[in-house]
Amino acid sequence: MSLLARLAAGSLLTAFLVFSLAPFLWMVAASLKPGDEQLIFGNPWWAASPDWSNYTKLLVSPLFLRWAGNTALVLLGTLAISLGASILAAYALAHRRVPQARLLVVALFATYLLPSGLLWLPMIKVVQALGLADSPLALVVTYPGLIIPFATWVLWNFFKDLPPDLVEQARLEGAGDLRILARVLLPVALPVLAAVALFGIAITFNDYLYGLAFLSAPGAQTLISEVAHTSVDINDAGFTFAAILLGVAPVAVFCAFFADTYAKGLGTGVID
Amino acid sequence: MLAPALTFVLGVIAYPLATALWFSLTSVQIGGAGHFVGFANYSFLFGLGTYGDAVRNTVVYTAGSTVLKAVFGLLLAFSLARPFPGRRIVYAVLFLPFIFPADMGAVAWYYLFSNVHGGINYLIQRDVAWLGTGPLAMASLITVNVWHGTALFTVLVLAALRSVPGNLVDAAVIDGARWYQRFLRIVLPYLVPGLALAALLSVLGTFGDFVFVYLITGGGPANSTSIVGTMAFEVGLLNGDLGLASAISFSVIPVYLIGLVYLLRLVAGR
Repeated sequence: MSLLARLAAGSLLTAFLVFSLAPFLWMVAASLKPGDEQLIFGNPWWAASPDWSNYTKLLVSPLFLRWAGNTALVLLGTLAISLGASILAAYALAHRRVPQARLLVVALFATYLLPSGLLWLPMIKVVQALGLADSPLALVVTYPGLIIPFATWVLWNFFKDLPPDLVEQARLEGAGDLRILARVLLPVALPVLAAVALFGIAITFNDYLYGLAFLSAPGAQTLISEVAHTSVDINDAGFTFAAILLGVAPVAVFCAFFADTYAKGLGTGVID
Repeated sequence: MLAPALTFVLGVIAYPLATALWFSLTSVQIGGAGHFVGFANYSFLFGLGTYGDAVRNTVVYTAGSTVLKAVFGLLLAFSLARPFPGRRIVYAVLFLPFIFPADMGAVAWYYLFSNVHGGINYLIQRDVAWLGTGPLAMASLITVNVWHGTALFTVLVLAALRSVPGNLVDAAVIDGARWYQRFLRIVLPYLVPGLALAALLSVLGTFGDFVFVYLITGGGPANSTSIVGTMAFEVGLLNGDLGLASAISFSVIPVYLIGLVYLLRLVAGR
């Protein structure tokens, strides 16, 4: 690369880094100021005399612990169900004789493309029928429906391109489906599974509508739906920002380091 | 083995979808049973000025965001292609907005754009009403969408870049191909699948967006940023007209069918 091209690349990366981080810098400043100070006085990008009371309040707030617990329940429940169901479905479609398997995979994928705006109103009735209104479990039964179609498509792409001998050999040795999955396929599929998990986390973290539609009691919220529910209390914005920065940001930052895994996994069968 | 996956897809997708389709053909209201009205909701909708605005805004929002995300994603991917110190951290920071809760990001941006002690106006020491006029409000929303979604293009293009055989590029250099010839003839064809996947996910995500528009402008000022998603929400939940709201959502299905055809070609091509 020429010096000029390097300079251009460096400037572009720097500019985009600043752009990507700006809202986070603002949020950190907001979380370190008491009451409505952030929205009224001083430099909105900087807390000159950091006030940690939002964080100390969180740690003793029964609501924060409840929300953090609900968030963990929703995230882990969603991932467990989504991964389990997608692995089984992708395996069946790739290695068992399912009639019209390809068509079924594409139909599954097509459902993923549907806008959630179309589905959430009737979903309220499903949630009520299941007796899950105002329970975080309502999200645990909903999110997998949004994740499984795409996850199955990605895993099917991966499974079907593996050498057929791998599965045939194990089958001749008398291994059942679950054993083949556990011993032969899943160990080589770990990076793709990680990508699918990241995809699920992104769906869970980026949802707004379902949390807004299903959860209204304060105790039923997750850290993420709580933003939707209160739309941030303008007289005390710092508390919500602190809750997200302490409860969710660490997970998001950890996941961000696997961006490469995510891209390779999603591109399975599309990008070689 | 298909049963668990199908159960969720039928319960969470197929059943609500069928219900929404039925709703769109009835006069059902929140808290009130409706009756079959045929295509009355649709014909009412197509004569509605605010619906035309919402469709136009949705197209501007989607096209503007996707083109910018693709351009920045390509440029960033090329900038990240060679190793340099701190590359892993830069890569993670660029990906962070994509995985960070969208509603929280939207709220932060709302306060950055605010003309009452907002973060951006504080920096430029001016008093600009970013969300106060139609074109500026739309530009602000596109900015937030680009902030959130560029990373998807960046990472997928970067993954695709690795599939370009280095010796092919070297041979072209020896043959005296100029950089743009190398890019167009050799590199770009390898990037197309990754770009196409990112574009598909991005277009459908932006077309069905709700959270950024709802939290940052609420569709305003004067409906100038109202999109199909926010209009359906207002008509459905706030006005209680579930039939009309479902018709609004269903009216965009043709776009999804085009996306599906595109996808079929992407998958069937291999």
